[in-house]
Amino acid sequence: MASSIALEAPATENIFKQAARLIPGLLLLAAVGYAGRIIERSIANYGKAHHLTLPNIEYVLWAIIIGLVIGNTVGVPRLFQAGVATYEFWLKTGIVLLGSRFLLGDVAKLGGVALALVVVEIAVSLAFMTALGNAFKLKPKLTTLLAVGSSICGVSAIIAAQGAIDADEEDASYAIAAILSLGAISLFIFPLVGHWLHLSDLSYGLWAGLGIDNTAEATAAGALYSDAAGKVAVLAKTARNAMIGFVVLGYAIHWARKEHTEGVGNKAAFLWQKFPKFVLGFLVISALATAHIFSKDQLTNVANLSRWAFLLTFAGVGLRTNIRALGKQGFRPFAVGAVGEVVIAFLTLGLVYGANRFLPK
Amino acid sequence: MPEQLKRNGRPRQATPLLSLDSWAVLLALALCLAIWIGWIKHVPW
Repeated sequence: MASSIALEAPATENIFKQAARLIPGLLLLAAVGYAGRIIERSIANYGKAHHLTLPNIEYVLWAIIIGLVIGNTVGVPRLFQAGVATYEFWLKTGIVLLGSRFLLGDVAKLGGVALALVVVEIAVSLAFMTALGNAFKLKPKLTTLLAVGSSICGVSAIIAAQGAIDADEEDASYAIAAILSLGAISLFIFPLVGHWLHLSDLSYGLWAGLGIDNTAEATAAGALYSDAAGKVAVLAKTARNAMIGFVVLGYAIHWARKEHTEGVGNKAAFLWQKFPKFVLGFLVISALATAHIFSKDQLTNVANLSRWAFLLTFAGVGLRTNIRALGKQGFRPFAVGAVGEVVIAFLTLGLVYGANRFLPK
Repeated sequence: MPEQLKRNGRPRQATPLLSLDSWAVLLALALCLAIWIGWIKHVPW
């Protein structure tokens, strides 16, 4: 007994220590995100008080800008880095909770259209990015990583594919840097183009979810347009994320055959391991909301928790985007990513226009 | 030991008990349960 206590004590202490290390960064995320809220409200109040029509700039943009300024001037001190890195966790928690704002019927209808568009988008993007990578004479595995990252879901897909095809870490770093940089640029360009084209919330949300690679940036770009567009962007991006296992499995088999290595044993287990579990969580919460398990007030509370989780996410997006790193990455991977992103943005915009008549009114 | 090394010589990292996604789902479900039971009565925005 004594020995078991002696063995367990350090592990427990370790968990508490690890949790304590997250606190400064979490507080920074909350402070940056909340500062964005304060600025949004202050501008709205000023406009009201002085009878001025000021543009309604969502807290999302302010949180990202404040984060960008801090992250790229004074930098994020080491003490805060572990907590700031949790923004991906808050993103996924926020997406699961957002399920409360969708009835399963809407998910089936809108998600069905989104899924059909996702299949076309992934097939065309993979083929185009592969051809582009070959034309620029990139290493084949780097091309695969860029293709997977830009066609499915950014960083998560690249990390999953890196392990599955046994690519070099350096290639994965290049691909991740290119995808993150381009995601940061898309974050600002997509809403501008959406307003310029007078896209509806539904069309814009679908476009952002299909065209922007990283889930955090796609969610933020949707929310920058409007609350409704943010919801649709998350749904479309979630449909895209759900395909990650199938594409990575395909590449794992392809590379194993090419290199005559062992390959994937149990394909079902592989698919389950790569499948983003938050998609299931989103559907569970949506099913609970559809079954009227929650009262109206409770649904509002769940939706508000989702908003708080996204607030931490958007602050993290700004704090973790390193503008200086844009110039440090190799030109060719960035060029392939950039050309690919522009083409995919046009392709997905065309798909959304084409799918307009199938969308719920 | 050799099985623990990838072909490119990097050691494999230990797999965590639950993925980040799974923890996020658990937290979200726990929060929903707390709201449903009535432990969390009001979440302002």
